[in-house]
Amino acid sequence: MKQDSGYPVLVAAALCAASLCIIAVSVASGPRFLNPFSMDGETCRTLLAIRLPRTAVALLMGGALGASGAILQGIFRNPLADPYVLGISSGASLAASFGLMFGISLFTLSVPILAFMGAIATGAAVVVLGHGRKGLQPERLLLAGVGIGFFLSALLMLVMTISVDDGLKRAILWMSGDLSMVDGELVPVGLLFILTGLVLALVRRKGLNALTLGDDIAHSLGFNPTRERHLLFIAASLMTAASVSLGGVVGFVGLVVPHVVRRHVGSDASVVLPLSVVAGGTLLCLADAIGRTVAAPLELPAGVIAALIGSPYFIFLLGQKKAQ
Amino acid sequence: MPQTLCAILYLFLLLGWNEAAHCSTPPPPKRIVSLAPAMTEIIFSLGLGERVVGVTTACDRPDAARSKTKIGGMANPSLEAIVTLKPDMVVMNTDGNPKGVADRLAKLGVRTYIFRARRLTELPAGIREMGRALGARPAANHLAEKIEQAIRAVRTPQQGKSSHAGGGGRRALFVIWPTPLIVAGPGTILDDAMTMSGLTNIASDAKVPYPRFSLESVIERQPDLILIGNGHDGMKKRSKGFLKSLRTLEAVRKGRVCYMDDGLYRPGPRIPAGMEELDRCGKMP
Repeated sequence: MKQDSGYPVLVAAALCAASLCIIAVSVASGPRFLNPFSMDGETCRTLLAIRLPRTAVALLMGGALGASGAILQGIFRNPLADPYVLGISSGASLAASFGLMFGISLFTLSVPILAFMGAIATGAAVVVLGHGRKGLQPERLLLAGVGIGFFLSALLMLVMTISVDDGLKRAILWMSGDLSMVDGELVPVGLLFILTGLVLALVRRKGLNALTLGDDIAHSLGFNPTRERHLLFIAASLMTAASVSLGGVVGFVGLVVPHVVRRHVGSDASVVLPLSVVAGGTLLCLADAIGRTVAAPLELPAGVIAALIGSPYFIFLLGQKKAQ
Repeated sequence: MPQTLCAILYLFLLLGWNEAAHCSTPPPPKRIVSLAPAMTEIIFSLGLGERVVGVTTACDRPDAARSKTKIGGMANPSLEAIVTLKPDMVVMNTDGNPKGVADRLAKLGVRTYIFRARRLTELPAGIREMGRALGARPAANHLAEKIEQAIRAVRTPQQGKSSHAGGGGRRALFVIWPTPLIVAGPGTILDDAMTMSGLTNIASDAKVPYPRFSLESVIERQPDLILIGNGHDGMKKRSKGFLKSLRTLEAVRKGRVCYMDDGLYRPGPRIPAGMEELDRCGKMP
């Protein structure tokens, strides 16, 4: 598709405007519609104590996953790479599920901290195993991630099979991206890690662009592929770990959002990264709003809703691409 | 003069004590939300059904509970739905409600009462404590006494019984779910009730309260009696295949399979009826 230079700006503006509208509607939607023009004390309390923290968490998680997916697909030069293919979420899930199922909840933040540590430890293990003779190689890194991911998933299934305990249902909900119990207190810490990862990725955006062209070309352009891959992998791991710690495992967003964004604005990382943050955050925010509204007072996990919304659109895009 | 001073001091202390006592005991709740079916049953049996403003989607007993506003499931209730009902107390338990729910409610300034009794012997004391918190002491005492009587009733006849008399010493398995096989293990009210009724739970050495059990273990341990809880609809149909797999067992061949009501699943007012039913099943020929 031939695009003029103003097209990405137009798309970005349209996406931001649509996101603002969706976020506004999402904040108001729930078991009870919060009318912004008639706010009483009770409505204000619900808005400030429940809706806004939940919306903030959904935006942060979705944004972080969108950006992580964009980075990983770039550094692996693989359209199927996403934060969960690399085992990072499996590590977080295993650690958090241990906390939930075996009651390691001495204080409120035990589970998020365990999830964060699990994600970071898995990311580090993937990097160590991904090192070959020629440094950090994408194929090796990807295979290491897939291998470790399968191993940790198997361990998780084993733990879940032998444990039929009170925390099991909570653990399953946590792994489905259920945001019903998210805590606003986590937002500042999550924001800090996500911003750190995002800033690091934006600083290395030229390296990311170069890596998508292949290691040889990146090298000829003056970049050290191993170093760039290291830094970008750290950025993606930080964002994924923070996202998982905030509210659990949400698949699909990291895989699909970068594809959709790239389709509209091309593959320049300096545009794709911020727009993936906006699109990912908005998608998860919308999914969470739908999850808490359609079957109210039952809470449907946002991760499941996001996949249900996004998959048909993804398949539609694939169909269009084939037609072209 | 010193006597007057003493009298004034005493009066102040008395007033202060009264004030402190008044402050430390919050008034009984008028708007209650229940986050567990067992809690709902207890609250209604204490005569406080009118004060219940919200229940979970799993709260199906008594019938009056079905018409109450729903606030979502046990593991992930809707915080918004709870807050909207403006409860002055949310009653929950440690057997099904995650700790995170209590933490979030506390942060939202909602008063919670957590029912902690998980064993049969702890139940009467737990109900009395709950009665104090809900301002229904006499009714709670009455319910606790009924449960204590039921416990005594099954315990007394077992004393001095030989293993072949009645149900005494029979090896039993309590099936919660047939496929995959989930049974009542140690530390559960079901295990307590079986032991008190003179039955030996073949899964009492499991590591978790509700273990997944293998069919091979069941066949190896040769239960004399299979109890199947009717906690879910259509358990007879669901357990057909399971019982077919166990057709080599004498318990199955001789028809010593007993389908039980879910009274013993829920630590509440239906425990006495559940224990009577268990006693009857234990005495199956």
